[in-house]
Amino acid sequence: MSPEVFVQQALNGISFGALLFILAAGLSLIFGMMDVVNLAHGAFYMLGAYVTLAIVQRTGQFYLALFVAPAVVGLLGLILEPLLLRRLRGRHLDQVLLTIGVSLVIADLLGLTFGREIHSIPLPAGLDRSTQIFGGDYPVYRLFVIGFSIALAGALAVIHRRTRLGALIRAGVDDAQMLDALGVDIDRLFSRTFALGAALAGLAGVIAAPVFGIFPGMDVDALIYSLIVVVVGGLGTLSGAVAGAGLVGPADTFGRVLFPQFALALIFAIMALVLLLRPTGLLGRVRIAR
Amino acid sequence: MIEARELRRAFGGIVALDGVTLSIAAGERRAIIGPNGAGKTTLFNILTGELEPTSGSVRLGGEDVTSRRPHELARRGLARMYQRNELFDPLPARENVALALRAEAGPYRPFTAPARTERAAADAMLERVGLADRAGAQARALSHGERRQLELALALACAPRVLLLDEPTAGMSPAETARITQLIAALDRSLTIVIVEHDMDVVFRLADRVTVLHEGRVIADGTPAEIRGDTQVNEVYLGKVVA
Amino acid sequence: MFAGLALAVAALLVTFPAWTAEWESSRYATTILRDMLVLAILALSLDLLVGVAGMPSLGHAAFFGAGAYAAAIAAQRLGSDELLVGLVAAVAVAAVLALVIGLFAVRAAGIFFLMLTLAFAQMVFAVAFQAADLTGGSNGLAGVHRPTFAGIDFNGPEALYQLVAVVFLGVVLISWRIRSSTYGHALAGLRENERRMRALGYDTMRLKLSAFVVAGAMAGIGGALSAYALRFVSTNDVGIGRSIEAFVSVLIGGTGTLIGPVIGAAVVLYIERVLPSSIPFAETVLGLVFVIFVVAARQGIVGLARESYARVRR
Repeated sequence: MSPEVFVQQALNGISFGALLFILAAGLSLIFGMMDVVNLAHGAFYMLGAYVTLAIVQRTGQFYLALFVAPAVVGLLGLILEPLLLRRLRGRHLDQVLLTIGVSLVIADLLGLTFGREIHSIPLPAGLDRSTQIFGGDYPVYRLFVIGFSIALAGALAVIHRRTRLGALIRAGVDDAQMLDALGVDIDRLFSRTFALGAALAGLAGVIAAPVFGIFPGMDVDALIYSLIVVVVGGLGTLSGAVAGAGLVGPADTFGRVLFPQFALALIFAIMALVLLLRPTGLLGRVRIAR
Repeated sequence: MIEARELRRAFGGIVALDGVTLSIAAGERRAIIGPNGAGKTTLFNILTGELEPTSGSVRLGGEDVTSRRPHELARRGLARMYQRNELFDPLPARENVALALRAEAGPYRPFTAPARTERAAADAMLERVGLADRAGAQARALSHGERRQLELALALACAPRVLLLDEPTAGMSPAETARITQLIAALDRSLTIVIVEHDMDVVFRLADRVTVLHEGRVIADGTPAEIRGDTQVNEVYLGKVVA
Repeated sequence: MFAGLALAVAALLVTFPAWTAEWESSRYATTILRDMLVLAILALSLDLLVGVAGMPSLGHAAFFGAGAYAAAIAAQRLGSDELLVGLVAAVAVAAVLALVIGLFAVRAAGIFFLMLTLAFAQMVFAVAFQAADLTGGSNGLAGVHRPTFAGIDFNGPEALYQLVAVVFLGVVLISWRIRSSTYGHALAGLRENERRMRALGYDTMRLKLSAFVVAGAMAGIGGALSAYALRFVSTNDVGIGRSIEAFVSVLIGGTGTLIGPVIGAAVVLYIERVLPSSIPFAETVLGLVFVIFVVAARQGIVGLARESYARVRR
């Protein structure tokens, strides 16, 4: 592999990892707080992408979608948590099953509304060119993804460490029951956390849309990847999402280039290995709920 | 029968057991007492194989069983009555006991229905602990005292040679306590019994010897009378409990 | 009395094409019922894990699909349409796969087990997708021959249906015997309190692994039948969609019961295949029905029936 190709693939790996971080952060957050593995996470991602499609088709404004789509998905999360999940408080397995049902509904409704063909949207204005990196051309959009993700991670870190919501989230991830006993409104915290997680998934959908396209079945792919990232990096923490994405992104990219036949299996093997040897993930610190 | 040597167990920074050594003879009835947090349940968990000690060893009947898993210890004749009942809640009391009775033969007979003699054997065991009339009731429908009786039945059903009882009278009324104490006292003398208890009357009624644990260490070891007179024990533990 | 009723139902089931021959949509109904029975076999096998042993697996289609591929490929490579060849291949491959996966998966429990089984199933999916020389990749394996047995060629739709119905009844019988055996009782004990089972002397890891393999092998049988019925095997047969389909069937019907998975499979297949002729949003309906059951009727149809029966008796 020549140096230029290596650099290109490395950047691909990092930008894919950046995208995975945005996607997995929400899943990790929801699990850390509520002990729920949100299997509708892929569907939320998909919803974000399709909302982006609608907005871009109608107004051509990608940057508008960047704000509206996560808001829409977040709103859906804000509605779903009290409507459905809250009724199953404490029944973690059933909550997970519930999210499966939700994902079926979302995926089907999107397919009905937008049709089952592959849609694509153009790269947004200003980011649709290439630039010179180490002697080769590289798409600016992917660099944008990396930068955006770093900025987002930074913002989330600030929220996590410096704001009241962040403090509540940190405490809630640690011991939600204790918070409840201390008089914190757990219901509101949970629905907000779920909404935030959903919004992040939707945001990932927006970012990914110009690169990966919009099509039925994208929810399953996204769900699988986000599960792997979160399990590998550590369930329940944002730094875990960073670690997991940082590992899975490049591993997947290089895997596809070096051994395309086994790339997918490689990623799953990593996940299975981590689950067996370090069930809480590389950086995770969460009790294993039954 | 049971020999624990220099058992140490740490959980991160917390040292639950700090070099516990004790030796229990076959047929002996040993009580282990100590304030909460002294390490009694940790000790039990190590003896039953659910926990591995950070260092130290355990011998059962002369065999080193330090790294043996729970089911292997159970097969070597160790039975346990848990502090918080571990029952099969939605199943009838009879089926609870039946599961214990079937353990010996092993479960790998996928086309063999339970033997007809089994029902009688399960009922007999329930009779022994005084639950004969509740055989068909779901475990979760039983009263607390009855659940403790069932818990004991499960331990006895395995025909053990060593019985570990973790606070058998916890949460019981005086009448229930008396009944279960009587049951234990009447058990065969060939059975080695180790009891963790807070109720001193029960301890003095049942135990041949008493071991006192405090902050993960054995601070006294002797007959109930000796322990009652031991000033250090009185300071640390008995003094805090109404005698 | 029960036995008589069961025998009657069984007879009706096997002779279905005969007594519905006059119906306008007889062929269609036969096909639908056939596919319901195949899904029911998968659901029954999954329920052994989910309902009896308390091991929630979301990757069970891996064994169903493995069985389907094995039956089809064995017939192809060995040049034999013998039913036993296909079935043995299916069961063997599915069981071995279940053993390999199970060795890793059973170390986890609850939600982690769920995720592990999902991940492993996706691995199998990926392999099936990539190994195009063997499995046909994304195109799948077409032209699977209908099997023959003791001189009977199960080529026609009625004959194939009867084969499926007979095998289904066999699976039901086996499931029933397993559930009521000491082994089945031990699995139930495992479900209710694994810690106590260990303390009683049961090797719970081995018990779980055995359940995983038995359930996998059973799913493999369903897969073989699917290959014969559709004359086609694709990655859909190992995909997450199929795993979810099975899980939904088990839950809607009622976990831990014998007829629950069968009823659930019937409901699910009805929604997926019959309903779309009237309405376009069948998957949505399925998702909603599933959600409703999880939230409000977790005990499933059989559970609901039992409760109302108990209430009526009072």
